[in-house]
Amino acid sequence: MRKLFAKIRRMDWAMSACMVALIAIGVVFINSAGSVRPTETLRNLWRVHAETAAVGLFVYMAFALLDYRKLVDWAATPVFALSCAMLVAVLFVGTDRFGGRRWLWFFQPSEIAKLAVILFSAHVFAAPGRSGFRWFLAGMAILGGPALLVLAEPDLGTALVLAPSVLAILLAARVWTKGIATLVAAILLAAGALLWTVDRAERQTDPERREQIYRYVPLREHQIKRLRVFLFPDTDRSGAGYNLRQAQISIGSGGVWGTGLKKGAQKLLGYLPPSVSMNDFIFAVLAEEWGFMGVLEMLALFFGILASGLRIAARCMDDRGRLVAIGVLTLVFCHLYVNVAMSVGLVPITGLPLPFISAGRTFLVVLMAALGIVQSIAVHDDAEPSGEDGPEE
Amino acid sequence: MKTSRWFVAALGAVYLLGFLVLGSALFRLQCVDTGEFRAGLKQQATRRIRVPGLRGRILDRNGETLATCRPSHCIQCNIEEFQKRGAASNTVAAIEDAVDRLAAAIGLARPASLTRARIERHLEKRSAMPLTLWEDVDDAAFARFAENSCDFPGFEDVTIPERVYPRGQLAAHVLGFTGRGRPDDADSAHFFEPDMRGRSGVESYYNRFLVGVAGERKVRVDARGFRPTRQREAMMEADLDADVAPSTGLDLRLTIDAGLQAVLEEQLAGATGAGVVLDPRDGAVLALASAPAFDPNDCVPRIAAETYAALTNAPAKRLQNRAISESYAPGSTFKPLTALAALACGWLPDDEYDCKGVYVLGDLRLHCWDRWGHGPINIRTALQKSCNTFFCNLGTAVGTNAVIGAARAFGLGSRTGIDLGGETAGIVPDNEWKRSAYNERWYPGDTCQMSIGQGMLLVTPLQMAVVAAALANGGRVFTPYLFARQDDAPPPEPVRTVPYAAADIELVREGMRDVVERGTGRRILTRWEDPAPGTSKRRRFNLKVSCAGKTGTAEIGTGATRRKNTWVIAFAPYESPTVAMAMLVERGESGGSTVAPRVHAVLAHVFGEEETTASASSGSALERAD
Repeated sequence: MRKLFAKIRRMDWAMSACMVALIAIGVVFINSAGSVRPTETLRNLWRVHAETAAVGLFVYMAFALLDYRKLVDWAATPVFALSCAMLVAVLFVGTDRFGGRRWLWFFQPSEIAKLAVILFSAHVFAAPGRSGFRWFLAGMAILGGPALLVLAEPDLGTALVLAPSVLAILLAARVWTKGIATLVAAILLAAGALLWTVDRAERQTDPERREQIYRYVPLREHQIKRLRVFLFPDTDRSGAGYNLRQAQISIGSGGVWGTGLKKGAQKLLGYLPPSVSMNDFIFAVLAEEWGFMGVLEMLALFFGILASGLRIAARCMDDRGRLVAIGVLTLVFCHLYVNVAMSVGLVPITGLPLPFISAGRTFLVVLMAALGIVQSIAVHDDAEPSGEDGPEE
Repeated sequence: MKTSRWFVAALGAVYLLGFLVLGSALFRLQCVDTGEFRAGLKQQATRRIRVPGLRGRILDRNGETLATCRPSHCIQCNIEEFQKRGAASNTVAAIEDAVDRLAAAIGLARPASLTRARIERHLEKRSAMPLTLWEDVDDAAFARFAENSCDFPGFEDVTIPERVYPRGQLAAHVLGFTGRGRPDDADSAHFFEPDMRGRSGVESYYNRFLVGVAGERKVRVDARGFRPTRQREAMMEADLDADVAPSTGLDLRLTIDAGLQAVLEEQLAGATGAGVVLDPRDGAVLALASAPAFDPNDCVPRIAAETYAALTNAPAKRLQNRAISESYAPGSTFKPLTALAALACGWLPDDEYDCKGVYVLGDLRLHCWDRWGHGPINIRTALQKSCNTFFCNLGTAVGTNAVIGAARAFGLGSRTGIDLGGETAGIVPDNEWKRSAYNERWYPGDTCQMSIGQGMLLVTPLQMAVVAAALANGGRVFTPYLFARQDDAPPPEPVRTVPYAAADIELVREGMRDVVERGTGRRILTRWEDPAPGTSKRRRFNLKVSCAGKTGTAEIGTGATRRKNTWVIAFAPYESPTVAMAMLVERGESGGSTVAPRVHAVLAHVFGEEETTASASSGSALERAD
């Protein structure tokens, strides 16, 4: 028992506090966004969020108290296999909702896959000697398999945040730094080329010529539409660009102090589409009602989580721990960054929830479990500090 | 160890960079450009509704109200409170259901106009506006609604102005009536509240002055174009731009004298015809009536199809303003103009013509109304006795062009320019006109017919009133007008002065005085009252002032359709006339018997009448005539 209390005492309280605060913000804004919805179920989603968070807290504590090393050593492989199996299963027996087949029973396998991939990569690449081109290829396979399955749902967002997390782990583990650098450069180049092509195509006045160009672009219709909106936000404000335009109006009209909680006109009048205001665009509701000050508050809380996590990673003298922490933190960061940036118009629109705040049970529990694992790194860091970083340093 | 703290630190730097990018983008949106986005929100969530101004009143010359607005209670439905999920038909059903329950509770029949299609159209096209259910509900139903309104959220009463004509039929053709309509300037707003719009009469002619300046009300709308519900509206801060209050329209003061108008209409009651009373000094219309008339209150707020059909049905054609929109042969009332034309051409006042009762011109045999003939008479006596043969001869003697010239000089054949719509010009026929209309040349017989106001010549009662006014004031032709000028405004100039010598005009005027004193129009000046029971003496009443006039009886058609339109033109007092008038009665007996007593009554209203003895009256009249 004393051991248990000692473990709890070693948890990073700043991270827990920031996380709970963000979840509380989530409850508040799911309530606010839900208050304009017509059905009781939707209006009460904030309660579901709070209840999920309560369950999540148990999961969080459980993972924090569980030795992460055992988890990575023993559970990473079966969890990865299981989640891959579920990703395959969801394609066949999943439930269709909002234009994608993402649900298996009551949860989204793709959310679990995020954590599974991170754990498995950490497990694989923490072992010494696993570097070079072949292991890089192995890393690509670990990323690519689930990513392709997720893309098939289709869920571009999950694939997009998974890649940086795994790449960060590979970089940290120095699997094949040169190769990864080249890959990142190639991805950036490809993205640039893609945007340039769409840009060229949109500037074509001849529709046939445009069709011809698009035949060589490996994207779906709606993805091209989103890129078009990203490149030319003002051309189609009532059509494809509607969500972005309305999100920007919400955020911008919030001003410095915001309209006040529940008073956001964009939300109340339904210009910010109610179907997305609790999920992917909840940031717009927050920004409208709490203004720039509230946004800074939220960013500060996220920064608190990331900073505590990085401190834990830096203090950890175990490669497994560091890799897991790096993967989890990068995942949180990418979620936050992509979600906010797409609401502002910095990146094309991708369906990604805002961590801890957007409604979504699976993602919340997975995130809390992930942060629990990071806490576990802090709790179970009983390796003797060996001077500096390690023999290989 | 494979991993290093440096990598962790570098990762932290990357995160920090990301936060800085987000922070600066948000700073730009929320702190720098916030005004722009607020404007965007306001623009997409605001609808401008045109609010009409209160329509101005119409007054008579003494300030009596002829048209004004009264409050009318309406019950309307705020459709946004009944929005249901799913298909629009759910909302329609909810509205219909609620309306039915409300109708049962306040004891009104469900409005017939409230069809499913109308609700659907309203939801689609006018979603930011309330749906009007009952218009102009009576006080009892309105009270029941007020009692029950707590149980029926989403319904609301509003009071809107409704046009009312307190004097009913009085001056109906002058006033006209209003309808509901889309205003001309409604396009600048998203929605408009129905405005009153003049459909005829001065309501239409002076619509622009009466309507006032529309204001603008601003309402918020949600993404579906509906107003937010009361509950939701309460959650938002009011940041709409200020409304623009409408301003009331101008009051229109007419030259009409309501008392005189009432007398004129009373005299025309039961007949089909028209009468116009002008002030010969400036052309102001003191009274203008057409019979049969209508009650403009039946035509507001909008004229029902069956009402419209009933009012436009022949032969009554109640909506038709016979004073300006229909033209008739003037008959003998034209003779003063023929006389002037002849005098100008050198016919002397003492030149005589021997009336033998019939005028023969080639195949044409034109009978004088006196079958035995008037014998040798001069021009003044011919006017007094309205001798047809004399004027046929006169016209033929001076020629077609002189007669046509006289008609045109007095404004016949062209619109007078009165401030009313629908005026007709009438016809002053000439050679070219006859060629184009009948493909026939002009025969001397046509001149003959025209000289006595028959044939193809057609005039409106208003034109004849202008002729009477011009004869009264010494030859000045005014544009008749209804819009009373300001007291300090300069008096209107005549459109033209007829090109006839003052002495000639005076001679014709004297002839017209003879008409009322001992000629065909004696009943213009004098009223005989049937003897009271037990006495045998007929009492007679003369106007208190001297007057002059001319009767006319125009025969139209032949055989079964043969009928007479009967006329009088008159002015008084003879020396310095302040009243000139023309009256027409369709299918009368003769001008002297059908119309003259009516004209007497109108003039008696203005100048009064006094009982006289036969000798004294005619004696004094003769003295003055000499």
